[in-house]
Amino acid sequence: MRRFDCLKVLAEVAADALVVSSAGAMTLEWNSLRPSDGNFRVRTLGLCSSIALGMALGLPQRKIIALDGDGSLLMNLCSLPTLARMAPKNLTHIVFDNEVYEASGSKKTATAAGTDLVGVARAAGINNSHWANSTDDFTRLVAGALTGNQLCFIGAKVTAERSVVAPFPMDEVENKYRFIRHIEKTEGIEIFKTSLPASYI
Amino acid sequence: MICRTIGVKRIGEREIGDKLTPAEAAKTIVSGLKGAGINLIATLPDINLSDLLSEVEADRDVVHVPLCREEEGIGICAGAYLVGKKCAAIMQNGGFFNSNNAIVSTLLQYQIPLLLLIYYAGDIGDRTFSTTGGMTEPVLQALGIRYYIMRDPVDSAELIKRAQVLSEDAKRPVALLLTKEVLGRRPALKSL
Repeated sequence: MRRFDCLKVLAEVAADALVVSSAGAMTLEWNSLRPSDGNFRVRTLGLCSSIALGMALGLPQRKIIALDGDGSLLMNLCSLPTLARMAPKNLTHIVFDNEVYEASGSKKTATAAGTDLVGVARAAGINNSHWANSTDDFTRLVAGALTGNQLCFIGAKVTAERSVVAPFPMDEVENKYRFIRHIEKTEGIEIFKTSLPASYI
Repeated sequence: MICRTIGVKRIGEREIGDKLTPAEAAKTIVSGLKGAGINLIATLPDINLSDLLSEVEADRDVVHVPLCREEEGIGICAGAYLVGKKCAAIMQNGGFFNSNNAIVSTLLQYQIPLLLLIYYAGDIGDRTFSTTGGMTEPVLQALGIRYYIMRDPVDSAELIKRAQVLSEDAKRPVALLLTKEVLGRRPALKSL
């Protein structure tokens, strides 16, 4: 399976879901398929799942998708019991497992030696955890996750390859501002509150 | 004799504060957090934070996220902030050290505010954790995180509100160091 093909499938059904994606080429690939201010790029390896959980808890009525990698999730395995415990119904956690630290010279991760991240997720308490065995399987699982009302963990073993796509078009701070303004607009809430200077009062 | 002069009370062998009990001090802190608009609190226990965490757990107005590791709490609070929540993280100073990379490459890099309530293990008067205690302020300073050591349980609520104002304006984390005194577990001293 190719990660890019899976992301294409996801882009067709993601609609207005907020997407948090882990550091690396996956973010660039996703952004090329579904450019949106509702895409958040994570820079701390491992924090993808946790940031997605925070969003899911903060906006329980909005679909949140975490696009994680094996290297990233291995660095923050303890996020899985916390996810299971908080059990946000609106979160779909997808791990593209290419068995390497892709952005770090493609050295093997522990999943190359047999660590089963779907098994770990299930053992951590996320019952609704599945391996996608083909792109069709992935299509089915993702559709089910996004129409269902339950925390879902989907693992997909993918080839170690990066598609040639444009670089991420903005830095972290701009990503933050655009994302928050996107939330303000699409949720009809005010997050940044400004006030008049003291001299006006 | 010294104990009687400064009014140290004891429950069994454990000292408590002379102004507020631990339970009262916990209520003051939580009311300060809520007064500051905090509606999501990520926590990891320490024995000295027990009353405070019980108070957080019991509060129906805040989303409480019990953590496995403090670092994930930084991510959870960042994600919640991005969708409009106001967050606080309560942890011990050792746990704060665990969170360094997340603080630097998520909170600082993205300019995301967060109220960090950090229990000050290894403070003056503690029999253990002096190495961790000794590193706490230098590490906060090295990270450029403004911090305030809370000693008086009576004005803790107002101090929390002011810290939140600073954090939101600066778009940076602000740390409040929780001492045994502010938690009602030791009498406050005028010298500190």
